[in-house]
Amino acid sequence: MINLTSIQYFYQTQMETLTKSVGKKEGKSLVRSQMELQSNEGDQSVGISNDVETLKSKKRKAAITWYIFLLPSFLGILLFMVYPIVESFRLSFFQSNGTIEKFIGIRNFEQVLTSKTFWNTVWNTFFIGFFQIMITIPLGFVFASLINSVRKGQNFFKVIYFLPNVTSIVAAAMIFQFVLHPEMGVVNYALDSLGLPTSTWFSDPSTSKWGVILLAVWHWIGFVIIICLANLQAISPELYEAAKIDGASGIQQWLFITIPNMSGTFAFLLITGWIGGLQRFNEVYVLGGPNGSPARSIQTMGAFIYERGFTGFEFGIASAATYIMFVIILIFTFINLKVSKMKL
Amino acid sequence: MNQKSMERMSGAVKFLVLLVFGILLMMPFVWMVSVGFDRTANITMPFPPRLIPETISGFNYGIVFENGRLIQSYINSGIVTTSSVFLQVFASLLAGYAFSKGDFKHKKLLFILVLCTLMIPMEPRLIPLYTLFNSFGLLNSFWPLILPTVINGMLIFLCKQFFDQLPSTLREAAQIDGAGEFRIFFNVYLPLSGPIAATMVILSFIWSWNDFMWPLVVLNSQELHTVPLYLASFSLENGTSLGGLTMALATVSILPIVVLYLFLQRYIIQSIALSGVKG
Repeated sequence: MINLTSIQYFYQTQMETLTKSVGKKEGKSLVRSQMELQSNEGDQSVGISNDVETLKSKKRKAAITWYIFLLPSFLGILLFMVYPIVESFRLSFFQSNGTIEKFIGIRNFEQVLTSKTFWNTVWNTFFIGFFQIMITIPLGFVFASLINSVRKGQNFFKVIYFLPNVTSIVAAAMIFQFVLHPEMGVVNYALDSLGLPTSTWFSDPSTSKWGVILLAVWHWIGFVIIICLANLQAISPELYEAAKIDGASGIQQWLFITIPNMSGTFAFLLITGWIGGLQRFNEVYVLGGPNGSPARSIQTMGAFIYERGFTGFEFGIASAATYIMFVIILIFTFINLKVSKMKL
Repeated sequence: MNQKSMERMSGAVKFLVLLVFGILLMMPFVWMVSVGFDRTANITMPFPPRLIPETISGFNYGIVFENGRLIQSYINSGIVTTSSVFLQVFASLLAGYAFSKGDFKHKKLLFILVLCTLMIPMEPRLIPLYTLFNSFGLLNSFWPLILPTVINGMLIFLCKQFFDQLPSTLREAAQIDGAGEFRIFFNVYLPLSGPIAATMVILSFIWSWNDFMWPLVVLNSQELHTVPLYLASFSLENGTSLGGLTMALATVSILPIVVLYLFLQRYIIQSIALSGVKG
């Protein structure tokens, strides 16, 4: 799982490290002048050069200590991040099943990019992701605003609405197989008794994606609400007071103060939502297995990689597919960043 | 109608809307528990759906516990999660502290490298990690699940932010007393890092407990399955043919997390809001 919260904080951090480094320099010079002061008490000429020596070796020693602090994390980065990424790149040019390897150039990429199955998974992934995000963010924001505006039971609603997000998506998918069952499920029963049209959900390729979307909305909405609430409460109350004095109604305040002030939050949710959505795997695996049945209608890019890599043991093909997916995610995140920046 | 009663009205409407939608969101859980207790829910589910089962029985729950695989998977998940949380939180505290208070070459560059790891998804690393652990003969053990969690950019980032807020004068005072860097960390800063450590434990617990794709790749033998893996394999084997049993199993698998959540909800919600984690 990846997370782009950092991007949101990135400039902030850079600013912080900048100001910090300035502060550090002052501190350092202070220490040095203190040392020099001490050394001045003794023999001047020898003292200074001696001090420079000890200061240098002290600094080196200190630096080594700091690297020991970083050792576990950077061993992890090297072994579990850098090596796999490089190795995966190399593998994507080989025909491999884990033991026998043969260099075949860009044939893996050609094969993936001309594969109808792969493009079908790209389509499925984007389709499910698009509707999940376009439904959940507005809906979650409206509910967060409602929760924020009621006087009683705020915490109760927060806890209730967030509950689906705490349960693992695997268990949730298991439950939804029954909830959305065409004949025995509660949803179709409720729709039917209200006189509304029912759906075939997971049992038919033409509707199965909507089942996954419903599950994804149900699971994600609590997260959207919590993030929206945290940011709603951070909007300065003075803005609302000023608007009230100008005679703005509640709806007007919501439209012209709340929504513009939340654009950063929406951007954040859009980006994290897409990153998560493009990596969708767990729920579609539980619902449709590695090939996303019925008829590959809910097979995502992640499932394609799993199918080729770990049921077919075509490591080269799977590696090429992961790189294509990686690039798709990076490009799409970049576009999202640009788009949401423009709105800001 | 005066303004006050208007306001009260709109407040009541909002409350009602929230309540109705909340009930809708809870509906799958309620139905799950109900079906799990229903003796008649076997190959066909009780229809029309009922809130209170016709014949209440603990039959399905009995089978779930008798089978023993759920309990085994709980133990497995417990071992993996505890070890991962400990390793991850400890390594992140160390690194976050160094990035906050440390003074060494390439500090900024190394920190950017840490932030870059946030953008690397699991999928491109899946196959090389698999062959790596295979070559060590560690597949079908918990090591592949525990060891890679040592690096978590998000937690290092949160830690750094936290230590940035703590004054450096504490360090200087301890330095004057002649304490080395490790003693300063363990005796001065670590005792102060309770709040961030709690947040990190919550986050890494959620990540590790719900992890699915990587354990699915690495663990073949059933005895080692974690809870999500056991659920998935049960679901894929049986489809929608064993309604009551599946729902009972889902209930038992969700219950401990829900109870934990209800007790710690304030801290969990705060942690989520702080990090932007996706469960």
